[in-house]
Amino acid sequence: MSGVAKTAVSVEEGGNQCRKRSLHTNDQCNNKRSKSDEMSANEKKSNFSMLTSNSNGTVMMMAKPGASAKKLVIKNFKSKPNLPENYQETTWSKLREAVIAIQTSKAIAYSLEELYQAVENMCSHKMASQLYVNLTNLVEAHVKANIEQFLSESMDRQVFLKRMDDCWRAHCRQMIMIRSIFLYLDRTYVLQNPSIHSIWDMGLDLFRHHIAMNTLVQTRTVDGLLLLIEKERGGDAVDISLLKSLLRMLSDLQIYQDAFEQKFLLATERLYAAEGQRLMRELPVPQYLAHVEKRLREENERLLHYLDHSTKWQLIHTVERQLLSEHLSGILSKGLEALMDGPRLSDLSTLYSLFSRVKDGLNELCNHFNAYIKKKGRTIVIEPERDKSMVAELLDFKEQLDHVVSACFQRNERFTYSVREAFEHFINQRQNKPAELIAKFVDVKLRAGNKEATEEELERLLDKIMVLFRFIHGKDVFEAFYKKDLAKRLLVGKSASVDAEKSMLSKLKQECGGGFTCKLEGMFKDMELSKDINITYKQHLAGSGSTGAGSGLELSVHVLTSGFWPTYAVAEARLPGALAAHQDHFAKFYLAKHSGRKLQWQHTLGHCVLRAHFAQGNKELQVSLFQALVLLLFNDGDNLSFEEIKANTNIEAGELRRTLQSLACGKARVLGKWPRGREVQDADTFAFNNDFTNKLFRIKINQIQMKETSEEQKATEERVFQDRQYQIDAAIVRVMKMRKALSHNLLISELYNQLKFPVKPADLKKRIESLMDRDYMERDRDNPNQYNYVA
Amino acid sequence: MSGDDCDALDRGDSDGQKSDKMFTLKKWNAVAMWSWDVECDTCAICRVQVMDACLRCQGESKKDSYGKQDCVVVWGECNHSFHFCCMSLWVKQNNRCPLCQQEWSIQRMGK
Repeated sequence: MSGVAKTAVSVEEGGNQCRKRSLHTNDQCNNKRSKSDEMSANEKKSNFSMLTSNSNGTVMMMAKPGASAKKLVIKNFKSKPNLPENYQETTWSKLREAVIAIQTSKAIAYSLEELYQAVENMCSHKMASQLYVNLTNLVEAHVKANIEQFLSESMDRQVFLKRMDDCWRAHCRQMIMIRSIFLYLDRTYVLQNPSIHSIWDMGLDLFRHHIAMNTLVQTRTVDGLLLLIEKERGGDAVDISLLKSLLRMLSDLQIYQDAFEQKFLLATERLYAAEGQRLMRELPVPQYLAHVEKRLREENERLLHYLDHSTKWQLIHTVERQLLSEHLSGILSKGLEALMDGPRLSDLSTLYSLFSRVKDGLNELCNHFNAYIKKKGRTIVIEPERDKSMVAELLDFKEQLDHVVSACFQRNERFTYSVREAFEHFINQRQNKPAELIAKFVDVKLRAGNKEATEEELERLLDKIMVLFRFIHGKDVFEAFYKKDLAKRLLVGKSASVDAEKSMLSKLKQECGGGFTCKLEGMFKDMELSKDINITYKQHLAGSGSTGAGSGLELSVHVLTSGFWPTYAVAEARLPGALAAHQDHFAKFYLAKHSGRKLQWQHTLGHCVLRAHFAQGNKELQVSLFQALVLLLFNDGDNLSFEEIKANTNIEAGELRRTLQSLACGKARVLGKWPRGREVQDADTFAFNNDFTNKLFRIKINQIQMKETSEEQKATEERVFQDRQYQIDAAIVRVMKMRKALSHNLLISELYNQLKFPVKPADLKKRIESLMDRDYMERDRDNPNQYNYVA
Repeated sequence: MSGDDCDALDRGDSDGQKSDKMFTLKKWNAVAMWSWDVECDTCAICRVQVMDACLRCQGESKKDSYGKQDCVVVWGECNHSFHFCCMSLWVKQNNRCPLCQQEWSIQRMGK
């Protein structure tokens, strides 16, 4: 009874030990079957906690005699207590009876406490191994007996599964109970012998060996399970708890992976491969995506509800592969364009989130996205018929894409970059025109009379335009057209707001540097200087009481720095004496202030305000200088012929024809023409139209524009190309000066790095040749592919 | 020219007074371009057009916004013209006009 004595001595400690051990065993159990699911773990826990309290109880009871003494003295027993002869047999038969009662669901004749103590005593007397063997045999016999019910030939799958489930549950229940009774055996004998299974594991082992590993039973079970799952995937309601319980059984028996998972994944793959093929044909892309999303959700729920979590990665991966990876480009080429054109934002979000799950999905999406932008962008840019709306369309397109990227593609950097790359690609597919149209677009927005936008809106719009501008390679083309339009705005006083102009200028400066904008800034400076000059000129006139002041004619002059401004063709005109005198007077004044300069008058840019006296009343006419010159002739004579007018004004014939047309054939006809007609012929005569009426007092008579679109445009482009040639020359000389000697290919690639506008290699070659002609560089005598710099 | 112009002005003046004239010019916004009054429009020293800032000033003008304003033109007695900046450096080494080798003396300066 030494065992008893020991327990008696360490009363409290024994309790602690028990608890510790129970914890320990618990841990071990968990380690051993870490894969087993939550529920069975709970079962075990509750089971153990019951045992713990049970053992505590026993200990406490045994402690009673000891506890009554205040002081414990430890003495050896004088003689060993003897066991009855047949102690082992009787005790075992008691236990046997109890186990069989548990296995057959009958009441147990003995109290559990008694049984536990019996086990403990047997263990204490070195009968543990025999006890374990006996118990194992007993359990094995019972499990073996159970298999019969599963072997009958014809059995409904459902019934079979149900029965299997019942059998498994009963087995678990029994084993828990048995283990509770034999806990002491589990804790001592089993723990001390690592080669021996715990009672629970022994039960599992036997169940696995005799029932689950039976080929017929296993196939029936697994097939039944797969059938159930297939049904559920098909949308039928099935007994989920049955599925769950049986799958738990498989994983508890550690045959989940070998017996079930492989087949399950294979079935999954087959199902979704077929489904993917079929639905890709049948469904439009948005519905297909929704379907894939639904399938993935369902599979995740399945994982939550009954499948083992170890399957998760493979299962989801299988579904993704069959429904998505296999069809990546199919989905994109079939549906992306329509989705983007919509744009169907929620579908695009789905598309993105699905594609981000699979390997290469986003890559593929990004590529198709890029191709879509390039294709669509190209149609906007390339057709001359759409020039009018090109910039507005581009802005809309860009905005839409940005929105898609931010709302649906999670602002993925790769997509943002792709948008930029695609824009830069397609916008430069058509040379020069986009740059020109962007400049024109800005002009319209900055011109006065554009009331559609507040300052903030205008500012935002300019920012958007700058984004487009950034994509343009030929920034010099933009600058040329922008400058031309800016000049017009400034000279005619048509600029909507100085702030907006300055803001645009600073944006350009930020983008391209001071060199790009210094001439544009110079134009603004000229405007300010002109204002000052006109003020001092007026003061000068008032102070001197000079001859020019009395005419009642107010002269203001814009003096522009040539080089800053676009070049204008000089048009001759004979000014009436008063005007000529006034002009000379100003010139003298100006040149006195600024020595070393000369002035070139730009008559085409001048404009005037005329007071006109008609029968119906006085009007003020806003006209160009040429229009004014023509009209002033009628002060001295009515009925003038084209030739007379031409001789008197000395205006170039074509220009004069247009001028007369605007006065006699336009909206405000202050002159009459004979014979009537739209075209001005050499023999036509003109007269003052005294009956002229108009409800307005101030009337602007528009100059009829020369076909600006073709000729002026061509001239601007020409100038840009001319400038480019100089820039190429300069770049070549710069590179050669630095390198002294360079091969042709290296020179070309250096040039491409330096030049900011698109050039063809052939053009570069021409420039190199021209520079060699001019002795800036020479071909190497030994190596024709090499150039040397000539200092 | 003054005699002719005076006549013209007088006539214009009286025109304005009389209301029987059909058209009277009230306001004239004219436009003129100025450029340096030079014979050769490139500076022989820096090979840049005299209307533009000289090379040195262009390099510096990248730093501030209006660099060009001060890069004026200078004429020597020989009537050759250069950027003032270029010439003032040149005369430190050689006080002769780089084009005609005459002794350099400033005739006038651009303003």
